[in-house]
Amino acid sequence: MRSGRLLALLLIGATTACSIEVVNPGRVQEEFLLEVEAQEAIVKGIGRAVAEAQNYVGYTGAAVTREIHPSGSTGSFGIQVEWQNGELDYETVNTHWNLSQRARWWGDDGIAKIMETGAEEQSLLAEAYLWTGYAYRLLGENFCMAVIDGGAAQDRSVYYDRAMDRFTQAASLGSGDLAMAAMAARASVKAFTGDWSGAVADAAGIPDDFVWNMPYFATEGNATRNRIQFAAQNEPYKAHTVKFTKYEDYGLSDNNPEGDPRIPFRVTDETGDAAVQCCGQVLWWPQTKYEDSGSDIPLSKGTEMRLIEAEAMLVGGDWQGAMAKINALRSAAGVEDVMATNTAEAWTALKRERGIALWLEGRRLGDFFRWNRDNTPGDRHPLEVASGSQFEGSHLIQQDLCFPISRGEVDTNPNISGPTG
Amino acid sequence: MRIRLSENIRALGIGTFLAGAIVLAATAAAPQAARAQEGSITGRVTDAASQRPISSVQVHLVGTGMGTLSRDNGRYIILNVPAGEYTLRAERIGYTAVEMQVTVAEGGTLQQDFELAQQALGLDEIVVTGTAGAARRREVGNSITQLNIEEEVIGPPVNVDAILQGRVPGMSVTQSSASVGGGAMIRLRGNVSMTQSNQPLIYVDGVRVRSEGFAKNVPPIGYSGRSNNDVSSPLNSINPQDIERVEVIKGAAATTLYGTEASAGVIQIFTKRGSVGKATWSGQLEQGLARNLTFGPDPSLRPPSENPTSLSGGRSDFLFINPWLHGHKPACDDPIVVEGQPCDSGLFNDLGAQQQKFALNVGGGGEDVRYFVSGSYENDDGVLPNDKEKKVILRGNFTFNPLENLQLQWNSSYTNDDLAHTAGGNNAHGMTLNTFRRDRNYLNDESFNAINPFLNQEITTQIDHVITGLTATHTMGMVTNRLSVGYDLAQQDNRNLRPFGFIRAPTGILSTSRFEFNTLTVDYLGSVTFDLPMGVGSQLSFGGQSVTERRELTTAYGDNFPGPGDPDVDNAGNTLGFEDRTRVVNAGVFVSNRFDFADKYFVEVGARVDGNSAFGDDFGFQTYPKINGSYIISDEDFWNDAWGSVKLRAAWGHAGRAPGAFDAVRTFAAAGWGGVPAFLPSNVGNAEIGPETTEEIEAGFEGSFIDDRLAVDFTYFMQTTFDALFSVRQTPSLGFTSSQLANVGELSNDGMELGLNYSIFRNDTWSWDVGGTLSLTDSEIISLGGSPEFSIGGFGWVVEGQPAPVIRADRVSNPDAHADPIIVQDSVFGPNQATTIAGFHTTVGLPYSVLLTARGEYQGGAWMLNGPQAAATRRSVRWAGCFEAYNTEETQGYEALTAEERARCDVAWYQSDFAIQPADFFKIREVSAQAPLPDSWAAMAGAARANVTLSARNFFRWVDPLMRTLDPEVGGNVGYNTRVRSMSEHVPPPAFYTISMQVVF
Repeated sequence: MRSGRLLALLLIGATTACSIEVVNPGRVQEEFLLEVEAQEAIVKGIGRAVAEAQNYVGYTGAAVTREIHPSGSTGSFGIQVEWQNGELDYETVNTHWNLSQRARWWGDDGIAKIMETGAEEQSLLAEAYLWTGYAYRLLGENFCMAVIDGGAAQDRSVYYDRAMDRFTQAASLGSGDLAMAAMAARASVKAFTGDWSGAVADAAGIPDDFVWNMPYFATEGNATRNRIQFAAQNEPYKAHTVKFTKYEDYGLSDNNPEGDPRIPFRVTDETGDAAVQCCGQVLWWPQTKYEDSGSDIPLSKGTEMRLIEAEAMLVGGDWQGAMAKINALRSAAGVEDVMATNTAEAWTALKRERGIALWLEGRRLGDFFRWNRDNTPGDRHPLEVASGSQFEGSHLIQQDLCFPISRGEVDTNPNISGPTG
Repeated sequence: MRIRLSENIRALGIGTFLAGAIVLAATAAAPQAARAQEGSITGRVTDAASQRPISSVQVHLVGTGMGTLSRDNGRYIILNVPAGEYTLRAERIGYTAVEMQVTVAEGGTLQQDFELAQQALGLDEIVVTGTAGAARRREVGNSITQLNIEEEVIGPPVNVDAILQGRVPGMSVTQSSASVGGGAMIRLRGNVSMTQSNQPLIYVDGVRVRSEGFAKNVPPIGYSGRSNNDVSSPLNSINPQDIERVEVIKGAAATTLYGTEASAGVIQIFTKRGSVGKATWSGQLEQGLARNLTFGPDPSLRPPSENPTSLSGGRSDFLFINPWLHGHKPACDDPIVVEGQPCDSGLFNDLGAQQQKFALNVGGGGEDVRYFVSGSYENDDGVLPNDKEKKVILRGNFTFNPLENLQLQWNSSYTNDDLAHTAGGNNAHGMTLNTFRRDRNYLNDESFNAINPFLNQEITTQIDHVITGLTATHTMGMVTNRLSVGYDLAQQDNRNLRPFGFIRAPTGILSTSRFEFNTLTVDYLGSVTFDLPMGVGSQLSFGGQSVTERRELTTAYGDNFPGPGDPDVDNAGNTLGFEDRTRVVNAGVFVSNRFDFADKYFVEVGARVDGNSAFGDDFGFQTYPKINGSYIISDEDFWNDAWGSVKLRAAWGHAGRAPGAFDAVRTFAAAGWGGVPAFLPSNVGNAEIGPETTEEIEAGFEGSFIDDRLAVDFTYFMQTTFDALFSVRQTPSLGFTSSQLANVGELSNDGMELGLNYSIFRNDTWSWDVGGTLSLTDSEIISLGGSPEFSIGGFGWVVEGQPAPVIRADRVSNPDAHADPIIVQDSVFGPNQATTIAGFHTTVGLPYSVLLTARGEYQGGAWMLNGPQAAATRRSVRWAGCFEAYNTEETQGYEALTAEERARCDVAWYQSDFAIQPADFFKIREVSAQAPLPDSWAAMAGAARANVTLSARNFFRWVDPLMRTLDPEVGGNVGYNTRVRSMSEHVPPPAFYTISMQVVF
């Protein structure tokens, strides 16, 4: 009897004394990030976060501004019906908001972690500032209102201010192409805010052939693929087409071998997987600017700087100078000059040329917003403005020019009381 | 070098394994030298009404510890009985025990047969699930359902899910697709968690086994649906012919002693053990067909603009996929059939998908060793063209009594399941989606030759599953100690190949994954029985349990292959590797005491304390208390025996559900970026996180009335899950975009369950039994704890004051008006889980021991998203579910359409919300007829008896008319491990028609 009880006690001890402490591999606990050795991965993580945000914002923005026209799936890689119609509803932009805010927050938090432990290399810190600046630029150019760290909704200029600060830090800490990218990016932000003299000053040091890219990778999964490219391919989505956009007339294709090589696309007799509401099954003419899903997307480049200089001239009343800048770019691209006889026509040419030079680079929505904000002269092409009907013109019922604060932020942020933007 | 489990076993040789087991068993069964002063008792146990032999009857000499179990042919033998007078007792669950006074002569053999009468209420039946050790049913204060397979199931059951389907009050078992080997979602009393699994825990012979589904066969990158999009269940590893009984306890009041993870209930399966005597062999041969019922509108409803069939011969009542479905292919003389297209030649060559099963088992043994050894082989085609399952299951159960007071029980099974599947579900590379969407598919072509190449994707899965458990039970007077060690090991190999030249991945994609799931359980139970003053009996039980669950995954992925051929991943131009390992440990101790007053009042109090590696650092331990009582009111003096037997019972208890392995910790993902390391914010972390705890009160009664012909089992229950783990959405501008689990919520489940069985009449030749079950469940989110409402997918929302979860979406408020829709935003449709489940069954006994049985089930009250309809409408697909609306529009004009039809079928009004539909259905789960072959026929084969059974399962279905396509049991893209029921592009589970023969030697 006694031995039985002893056995029982022993067995209880044996059964329950085993440790329940478990550290599972794979995910990284936060304290590890305060090691100096973690700094490079922090910086690359910030870059990746910006790349993911750019992927979504640039793609949807391209649909709403009709850089592309929907032709296929409305699902995972498709263009949702609301976006097809030009509507950026706060219910439908959670992913865009989440990824952009994550990139912004992780940039600032990652920089703070590096500063806390002491930067191993200045160049790493400079790169962190650069990616963070691009995160703020993406938000500033595309989102209607600013929210920082769970605070109240603010004017989007908060994003520009922070973007300029981060780019300034990057330029001062970095060197070579990185510093040049920071200057070019700061020029674009200054242009966005109307600081044309500052923008021109920053742009001046950037050569025509300079390009700073956001890298994408074909083999690592959907998050780091070039989403615009992948969605358009026949694997299987065929989600968008150049057909029904203004670019079908002057891009480079088999139908137009003399077309602008900056707008390359392929003409096929296939249609997207599914009809879109406006126009039945749409011919699938995929873009070929990005040849595969590992194609990089330019974030800053010299040609944009020249167009900033041209736009600054227009703002200053020198439309002839602006046209010279524009046509210099066109000559370099191997296409004919465009003509203008007055300021308004020059603005039209500039708006058209930015569309070509920055096609599918995630910048068009911001351009539309600021031109609309500043009430600039000149017209956009009829196929890139809302026709008010899904059956006519651009097939855009409306055209929202910025992403609102998402429903997810509205629902969870006690400092925001309802739909905004 | 790592060697696969199956290779190990094959290396040893399955034959050797079996032969060894049988030799061991035969040795144990060898007659021992008769001792002159001892005799033996032998005989046969039969059902008093039907005269059918009854197996597993415990026949024992009262007060001696000597006894045995009857075998499949009803025969039993007790050897080495010292000469003398005894009370010989025969008892079995579901039958009234019979005692006889017998005298055993020296060296003699006493022949003593028994006839047992079925009993509606078995108060002295032994149950073990939810109790600390075994208990008589009269002692148990909570509801427990016991399924005795031999009584409940006529003929051989298809699988364990089919055994459970429609038989247990409060249990819902739904199969989600036609994929062979697919598992079923099981819910007991609805949902008790909004974020964690609601699948009950599964135990087999006391060994905890994996209850969640196995892994989906899908590449690690790219869209997560390039798969058949269903998962297999560990329950499929159990041969239903091996099962003796199943015990089900449904809520926290009963599952307290299982602690953390048990709040969704426990299902315990007990497999057969051998009986003393010479070997009894039993064999089974089964052949059958699987065929789909229609799951779309009749072609006669089509609008004038539609042809009777698609270009490949598809019909709307099968959503145009019938050219690829076994049993429904177009006739070969149909001009639409193209060269090389499978077709129905009219020579019975397309009756359905063939099902075959062969099984053999043997049981027997001596006083000191008993055994049950079985093997089965299944070879099943699925209704979809690539679907195929080959499954081998081996089992060896051995009982040893090395000492008078020590018993060792070693039960083991090995399953090898080879599966091949057709790409389905919501999958742009899949057969089903591209067929359902006709010419608006991803090829813009509905012809046979266009779609058929999707079959070139190879999705193959091999699962090796070993479940083994050793239990040592030591009894010393009033003290019993039991130590169990259980190990559940499953290795799953997934291979998913889109070969070079595949229609939508021209350079090919290959993913090869190896999963290992294992669960190690160590249980100790001590029990002391003693008497307290005032005639109060007491049984003190105490013990501990440790459960360690591991999941390990390695995957090799490759794409961009150089050319055709049968590739390895390392042939690919791009290769990637993935690994994932998690381990979760749960350990707990428990103590309980059952008090017995006069064998009619029973009270049990107890508690369990658990720690878990997934709990937060600041959380500590969780205590789960319980108390229950039962009162055998019919044993009171004032009770008139004519009133029947009644047990009143009530129980209160807690059980829990742990958070996930990483939920407590703030983590960053090592995501990588272009081949260099990169960190991304991943999980916010919560150091205070602990289990959600479900508290349950249940009360009810069990009774038998009208001369034991009517059995009633009624339970009312109230469950509250507090500290519920809710996905608290994080403010995106704070950087972490994924939700964080937190113990903030509270939800409730109230309901009742009623089970009735009535024997209308019964005599030696004829019998007619009827019965039914009814369960009503009402769930509600009591509190969100201040966190925002959150979605758990498929329009399932967690909203205060609404069912858990509620289907909430935009809705047409003027559905019947011939006008444009008026849309009401965020409208509540109703719960996602069925609130009413009703079953009926009847069994008729005919002359010559012929049995007919039928069983049906109704589920109602649930709403779900018809995903295929939503996805089709938004792409302007001419969806079969809209044929009536198209017909109206084409014949009477758009104005004749109702607002509901416009919203559902006109893309101009498109919202996925308009594809939410009621999920009510009724199905006849089974109709079977069983007849014994004449003894002379059986004898010609050397058999003691043989039966033939014809069965039809799930061959009739009624669904709510508003669900015009598919089947409410169809699931989504993640198989049955989903928190919200919704459909994706699956072919519904088919009907099965089988004929089987069972032979006992």
